[in-house]
Amino acid sequence: MMARLLVLMLSAALALTGFAAEAPAQTPARLIVQSQTEPPGLDMTATPATATSGIVFYNVQESLVKVDRHGKLVGSLAERWHTADNKNYTFFLKKGVRFHNGREMKAADVKYCFERALNPETKHPYAKDYEAIGDIIVKDEYTITFALKTVNANFLQNVARAGAAIYPRETVETMKSHPVGTGPFRFEEWVRGDRVVLVKNGDYHVKGLPRLDRVTFRFVTDPNAVLAALKAGDVDASLFGLGPEHVQDLQKDPRFQVITGDTTNDVILAMNNSRKPYGDVRVRRAVTYGVNKADVLKGAMFGMGKILGTNVDPLNPYYIDLSRAMGYDPVKAKQLLAEAGYPNGFDTVLKVSPQYDYTVRSGQVVADNLKKIGVNVKIEQIEWGQWIARVFREADYDLTIIGHAEAWDIKNYANPKYYFRYDSARFQALFAKSEITVDDHARRAVYADMQKLLVEEAPVDWLFMHPRLAVAKKGLQGLWKDLPASANDLSEVSWAPAK
Amino acid sequence: MRRYVARRVAALAATLLFVSALVFVVVRVLPGDPAAIIMGTEGSPEALARLRESLGLNRPLPVQYAEWVGGALRGDLGRSIQYDVPVGSLIVSRLPVTLPLALLAAVFMAAAALPLGIYAATHHRRAGDYLAMVVSQVGISVPQFWSGLLLILLFSVHLGWVSAGGFEGWASGPGPALRSLLLPAVALGLFQAAVLVRATRSAVLDVLREDYVRTARAKGLSERRVVGVHTVRNALIPVVTVAGLQLGQLMAGAIVLESVFALPGLGRLALGAISARDLPVVQGVTLFVASSIVLINFAVDLLYVVLDPRIRLD
Repeated sequence: MMARLLVLMLSAALALTGFAAEAPAQTPARLIVQSQTEPPGLDMTATPATATSGIVFYNVQESLVKVDRHGKLVGSLAERWHTADNKNYTFFLKKGVRFHNGREMKAADVKYCFERALNPETKHPYAKDYEAIGDIIVKDEYTITFALKTVNANFLQNVARAGAAIYPRETVETMKSHPVGTGPFRFEEWVRGDRVVLVKNGDYHVKGLPRLDRVTFRFVTDPNAVLAALKAGDVDASLFGLGPEHVQDLQKDPRFQVITGDTTNDVILAMNNSRKPYGDVRVRRAVTYGVNKADVLKGAMFGMGKILGTNVDPLNPYYIDLSRAMGYDPVKAKQLLAEAGYPNGFDTVLKVSPQYDYTVRSGQVVADNLKKIGVNVKIEQIEWGQWIARVFREADYDLTIIGHAEAWDIKNYANPKYYFRYDSARFQALFAKSEITVDDHARRAVYADMQKLLVEEAPVDWLFMHPRLAVAKKGLQGLWKDLPASANDLSEVSWAPAK
Repeated sequence: MRRYVARRVAALAATLLFVSALVFVVVRVLPGDPAAIIMGTEGSPEALARLRESLGLNRPLPVQYAEWVGGALRGDLGRSIQYDVPVGSLIVSRLPVTLPLALLAAVFMAAAALPLGIYAATHHRRAGDYLAMVVSQVGISVPQFWSGLLLILLFSVHLGWVSAGGFEGWASGPGPALRSLLLPAVALGLFQAAVLVRATRSAVLDVLREDYVRTARAKGLSERRVVGVHTVRNALIPVVTVAGLQLGQLMAGAIVLESVFALPGLGRLALGAISARDLPVVQGVTLFVASSIVLINFAVDLLYVVLDPRIRLD
């Protein structure tokens, strides 16, 4: 009765205020994208948040070199580049590229942005990536050379990162709330708590792009609200943040297309190598053997995603498939535990943050798996801020589960202070070698050795690659299938002409 | 009366000082500082330290508190760490969502609860009374986020009458704005209405047992006059007390519903600020909400005098 009364009251209210059911006005050149997290500012040189780069990078601001949809490095603001000795890189800038404020982008702007990144005063989150730069020489208005102090095999990768975006110096003070760049879209407004709106840059340096006139990123956090917004037609696409349980439902809905692809996000079961019993490699190997990754993938992601064997993800050109190198083997796991002095297993605590649902769900499967080899896992759910402070910054944990989204992040295993507290001289030596090996063939070999060593020493258990799960209305085309960079390039996205 | 107002204003100041100190300490005792959350799992420890310094987080707590209170007294609540805008303007920008939402919910609450409560009381122990009580029990038991989702399913996903969430703003007229607020207001008001139905019913029942009501009935007054004129007004004092407390709860309920309906209101601002450890915003919003609740209670006290002239506030 109450429900009927409610329907009647609402209907009456709607009729009174003249809310007729309007057909959703779908202007083809407009796109409304749901975004799960509101960015903590829009300045990519002040925050490493993927929520920021997910909006700004490639859309508003660009870098000299970019990672394309296939994961390949291609020219962006630089037409081409050249190095003869892997220490001096010369970039030839595209001519006639204009910032959104109308001024032409020139070599002096590039020099300014990199010098600013290197200046400790500016609090650039990736200053370390550019430490190898010794000198920046402006040859002419469109030619610039970076002279490195040491050979740095990752230099081009680092130049393609969000932290290396090029912006006009006169807008530095306001970048946090109004980013200006050279990208296909101009920033229009940020309604705090609700949306960021970008509009077409008619003067974009790639002819024919962008294809959309207006892009709105709307912040909807609650996964059920996202589903409702999609089904009600309030948003056209959800590019990240949709749960796998909703994806299955949407796959059956003829109004939507579901895009699943690869990402650089590796979900790991981290073990605190500085804590008993995880300092013992036999225990770490036992845990790795004791976790059935296929079960985890099924339980956490409904089977979507890929099982991993090491830190290197399938989008990385140096990836080798080691996902079966230490497959599920509870007998072997028990044997290793006995050898390590834990024939009856042990008790341990797994800290996860419900901020990321898949970590909690993975944790439940992991706990269930490990129980079978005698390891009793107590799951402790902690809030994200606490996870960052306790687990990540202070390494106050036994086990934890989290996704690492950054590409080319194998360097973390060479850092003994990183929260895994993995301190392996052998690995550190290999990583140092990889940093100065520039010949592709030789570098590939070093990367293979690093991956094999990681499997052997099992500092963490790499569970799975978090899949890209995007949903869009049918007719939206040009979206990236895979996500090799933490960006959502919308320059080539368009609506198919109505039939 | 003047003495009463002076006493209330002093109590208001003391409450706010206490709330401000409590919030200030609590948000700082929580592990995880804003700089660490901004940096996330990336960024070097050096970058983190520099960021922390630039946010002024490495200064002693009493200094930070004194500065904040000093600013607040001058009307400056500080600057949001996350949004880089003054906290005051951030709060003001959220009011056009939360105030009408709470107001609509309150109207819905009163419009649904008062008639139903009076009906239940005047039909005591009859079918209508039991039905009203069952309905209100259901209303109390269903969590707001759930009723919110059910309303979305029915009215936006299936019927397509209103949007599933988001807020268009008042710029394009009251139509679209009200359309965004209607469902969340109903979901928000539903629970409170259920509580108020019970309060109204028992208050009216109490008054109906009074001698003067019997006298009124004995005088031959119509039942409508007995209830409408002699009963309801006298029953209103406890009802207004409960409703006043509920207005404060509406603000708290808005936190959940603004997330479900993706509304850029005060509640969502507070929630986001807590997750991001945007301390100035958490402090500012809490202070604002606390002041509003104290002021609402003040207004309720003044209303007693209007409802019952025998009450003297001094």
